[in-house]
Amino acid sequence: MRDRPADVAHLTELLAADGYLADRGLATAVFLALSLDRPLLLEGEVGVGKTEIAKTLATTFGRKLIRLQCYEGIDASQALYEWDYARQMLQIRAMSTRAADALDSGYDEDAAVDALFGPKFLIERPLLAAVRAGDAAVLLIDEVDRADDEFEAFLLELLSDFQLTIPEIGTITASSSPLVILTSNRTRELHDALKRRCLYHWVGYPGAAREVEIVLTREPGVAPALARKVVAAVNRLRELDLAKPPGVAETIDWVRTLGVLRAGELDEHSALDTLGAVVKDRDDLELAQARLSEIVSGG
Amino acid sequence: MADTAPGGHGPSAFGPAAEGGAHPGRDLVDVLVAFGRRLRAAGVAVGTGDLRTYCAAVAPLDPGDLGDLYWAGRVSLVSRREDLAVYDRVFRQFFLDEPDDDLGKRMPLAKHARDQLRAAVEVPRADPPGPEQREEQRAELGLVASDLQVLRAKAFADCTDDELAALRKLIAAIRLTPPRRRTRRHVPARRGRAPDPRRTARETLRRHGEPPPPRHRRPRLRPRRLVLVLDVSGSMAGYSRNLLQFAYSTTRALDRVEVFCFGTRLTRVTRELDHRAPDEALARAARTVLDWEGGTRVGDCLDRFVRDWGRRGLSRGAVVVICSDGLDRGDPAVLAHAMERLKRLSHAIIWMNPHRGADPRHVPAALGMLVAAPHIDLLLSGHDLASLLELATALPRLR
Repeated sequence: MRDRPADVAHLTELLAADGYLADRGLATAVFLALSLDRPLLLEGEVGVGKTEIAKTLATTFGRKLIRLQCYEGIDASQALYEWDYARQMLQIRAMSTRAADALDSGYDEDAAVDALFGPKFLIERPLLAAVRAGDAAVLLIDEVDRADDEFEAFLLELLSDFQLTIPEIGTITASSSPLVILTSNRTRELHDALKRRCLYHWVGYPGAAREVEIVLTREPGVAPALARKVVAAVNRLRELDLAKPPGVAETIDWVRTLGVLRAGELDEHSALDTLGAVVKDRDDLELAQARLSEIVSGG
Repeated sequence: MADTAPGGHGPSAFGPAAEGGAHPGRDLVDVLVAFGRRLRAAGVAVGTGDLRTYCAAVAPLDPGDLGDLYWAGRVSLVSRREDLAVYDRVFRQFFLDEPDDDLGKRMPLAKHARDQLRAAVEVPRADPPGPEQREEQRAELGLVASDLQVLRAKAFADCTDDELAALRKLIAAIRLTPPRRRTRRHVPARRGRAPDPRRTARETLRRHGEPPPPRHRRPRLRPRRLVLVLDVSGSMAGYSRNLLQFAYSTTRALDRVEVFCFGTRLTRVTRELDHRAPDEALARAARTVLDWEGGTRVGDCLDRFVRDWGRRGLSRGAVVVICSDGLDRGDPAVLAHAMERLKRLSHAIIWMNPHRGADPRHVPAALGMLVAAPHIDLLLSGHDLASLLELATALPRLR
């Protein structure tokens, strides 16, 4: 595991070496999350690299990435832990035969029953795994806004003390805090209590020059001129007031798609063929197709 | 949409400022706390804990670097995107001594508008009155109760202020129950197709390994989210007061209600309605709804709603209640398109149109209504108490 970064600039370099170009704000936010042991809540448009930063941090610092994808109706047995019922049942069967066979040999039934609710029969889910791993892990709680609000209340204990309670075993506390990244697409407002425990950063679209850099870092084989042209076209698409404006992920996809088709140039023809990589809504497609020449012009 | 930070690795925040006498002889914490208080005064909710985080955050960074001060504060003091602009402005004023120019120009107008708005939504106090008022009020309520049947069918527009106040008390008592949907969560059930391994295993342990009668579970049912989109423009101003009150009491009764107001533009007022005292909630809603009585652009506003909230999933699986007369000053094609998308993004759409009146066969002839009609699941009037009750009864049946 690599040590913590010395300062923000150092962190930016480390991330860049692993292919993630963070701007000053994001780098500062991550640096502070690491220094203060606080969870970091990232909000922003879809496809601006919120999830990606957690993955990169895991690689950069040699930590294990533990991901919890949130959805409506997620509950403790999917997020925290679950008892291995099948194994427990088998053990019970084994116990009853043993107890019948070994009535005279001092078989300790209490200990056997206690063992049924021991760590051996516990199935680890992401949150428990993160608490056990401590600072050897990056915990990504993805799209927390999709979970129900009760689930947020449930996250509070974890995020403030990095501990969780299993009634049969007791409270498990992390020896050191994992780096926690929460992401939200703002489908609903998160509770203030949750936000108060986190550092907050809004991730916007990168500037054009930085986006070109990002594309070139991700797809090193691409000609800089083409990258610039694609980025310019994407920025024009974002201005079009689409229902779903393309994110950075879409820009990279578009460049990649052009590469697969061996189109060395972004013109009206190749753009029309590959528009599906950036615009993923029928109404948006119609709008973009109508203005295609305007979109691909210049760059 | 690149973030704009004042200064990159910019000039020191303390060199010129200290010489200029802005913060002479104070140590860093005092400066940071003063900044936090300024931010609080500008309306950003900054807690003491947030300030401590800010101070802790600056420590591992370089406090002489303006960029570090900026980002450390932005990360620890702001927790909502809406507050970012305020933060930027206060930061510039505080650390860069920039004059507050654009605000000065906007202020008188904003204040004027706010007073107007407050007047428009001023409602009689709904919280418990003092003992001396109570006697008087009881008499009034007795009178109203005997007239209840009359009031039920009396259009809000024809009511006197006293009658409206009484009606509003009745409205506050209406509890909406949206239809329910299945969730991924399970609850124990007496019988069913899905076995419940957890409870079965527990019961087996309790019986020392003897297999118990099988336990079952079924999906838990939860009420669907309710999204109220209320027209508060001139033609609807008379109804908006009641509906806002209605929306308010509904928010109190259910935690899964979202409220939006629109006129010429759309504003989300859910958070304003969070506040406990009804008068304060309404005053805050008024402050947000700046387009009060400024004409209606139903299509554009619904389009905004779909783009900003609907597509992010706010209305997915929800019942959307739109209250408007459908008199749209915008392009009907936009409205048709927005309704079509909204229909796909929600479970059901109910449209309340006061102009529909009591006659169930009458469909208002406004162009907007004709355009929207194919996408509406239920058209109600909402012009009197009886029709609001109709909404309350119809809602649970919208499976």
